[in-house]
Formats: sequence, C-alpha cells, structure tokens
Amino acid sequence: MIGEALKGHLDLLLLAVLAEGSAHGYAVIESLRQRSGGVFDLPEGTIYPALHRLESQGWLRSRWQEDLPRRRRVYELTSKGRQILSKRREEWRRFSKAINATAGI
Amino acid sequence: MKEKGIKQYLQTLQRELWFHGLFNSDILTELESHLLESMERGIRQGLSSEQAEQQALERFGSVRVVVSTFEKERMNSMQKILIAIAIIAGLFFAYVDSRPTWDDTGILAGAILLTCGLIAVIGYQRPWLLALAVGAWIPLRGILVTNNYGSILALIIAFIGAYAGWALRFGIRKTFLFS
Repeated sequence: MIGEALKGHLDLLLLAVLAEGSAHGYAVIESLRQRSGGVFDLPEGTIYPALHRLESQGWLRSRWQEDLPRRRRVYELTSKGRQILSKRREEWRRFSKAINATAGI
Repeated sequence: MKEKGIKQYLQTLQRELWFHGLFNSDILTELESHLLESMERGIRQGLSSEQAEQQALERFGSVRVVVSTFEKERMNSMQKILIAIAIIAGLFFAYVDSRPTWDDTGILAGAILLTCGLIAVIGYQRPWLLALAVGAWIPLRGILVTNNYGSILALIIAFIGAYAGWALRFGIRKTFLFS
C-alpha cells in the first residue's frame, strides 16, 4: 500500500533528496529510507527509471565520477528542477492540509 | 525467475533490457555499481559475502520488476509521440481520401488498419483513442461535407486495427517475455 502511494509522489521525494546536494543512486535511496524512518522502502532498482526520466525532463543532470573504486553516476538538481520542486512542495502542502482538515487529523 | 548472484542477475537483466529495446551500457554500469555498493555495505555490517549478495539482490528487486519499471517509464514518455503520429497519419488519410482523383478505397482501408495495428504493437496503451486519432477524420469530413455516412467504415477499420495490434502486443508479451 505504501509502495503504491509512494509511486505517485516519487518525483517530489527524489527532487527533495537531491536538493540537499548531488548524490549517486545508492545514496539517494539510502537517504529516502533514512529520512522516512524506513517507511519508504521501494525495490531499489525501480528508482533508476525515475531518475533517468527526471533527467530527460531536464529536472536533473548527471555526470560520471571516475575517481573511485568503480564508476558512479552522480545526479544533481537543475534550476528547472528547483522550480519544479518548489511548485510540488506547495501543491503537497495544500493537498495534505486539505486531507488533514477533511479527515480530522 | 531467481538469480543466484549479482553476476547472473546482471546477465539476465542485460538480456531482458536488450529484449525490450532498453539496453544501454551506462544503465548496466550504474545498476552494477549500485549492487556492488549494496553488497559491500552488507559485508561491512557483518554479513558473509553470500548473505550480503543475496540481501543486495532482494533489496534491488527482481529483474522482472526492474525491467517493467524501465519499460513503463519509456512507454509513458512515448505515448504523446505515438498519438501525434496517429493524428498526422489520420489527417493524411483524410486528405488522400478527399482527392477527386483517388478511388482506391481498399488501399486506404489497408493503410488505416496497418497504421493502427503498428502503433498499437509498438506500445500505444489506449486502442480506442488510437482508433479515433487515425480513423475519425475521414467520417468527420465525409458526414459534414458530403453527407456520406458510409465513411464511418474507416473508423470501424481503425478500431479493428488498433484492438488487433493491442491484442497482438499482449500475446507477444505473455508468450515470450520473462519466460
């Protein structure tokens, strides 16, 4: 149930994690898991298609880090990505406020 | 399908990505890097290398789940392009049909059928909308301009092509993929 609900908000979560600084896929997933207290625990491999889509939309950019034991693809937010994140955060604020008010939470 | 180790998992993943037209060496390098990092982390936490490898694979998700997610993302981005192609093709067929020198209905019917079928096989996910995008223009013009209700046949052919293509794609996926 949480997995399905999470999919609809994955873009917002990925952008929010990367707003803290550039990171490779594994670090993004670890951050999602830690920041959610383990609640957001999708199959790790399913995050990559979303990261690639966000990159093709111009919300993220990536580069390969070569100076490590192995190559890593590092993602960072673009200025367009920051604008989208701010818009999505505002939408979520309004949405969650409405849900809380309606559900009496 | 159960993959025993990261190497075997990556081989299966590579094969499935190829099969789905999704293969890109950068994707595989990125996913391999993730799995090895995850495994190393497990070892640092005190697991044996076999346990850490198994844990990394379990957390990563099965090949089927990963490839399906890649495919879903690609399909979502392809939908707009495919429907635009369908509309352009439909308008072209209506233009050809409107030419006074054109009288080969059979060729036009075949072209509508094939176009709808092909776009549905490639992966357009709403056959009814595809049929309308390709086949609505001829009857629209036929009814409004020449009062020709027989031109609705073009729309019926478009529906047959779109649903046949959709069924063919469904059959191909069920028979050959992840078998």
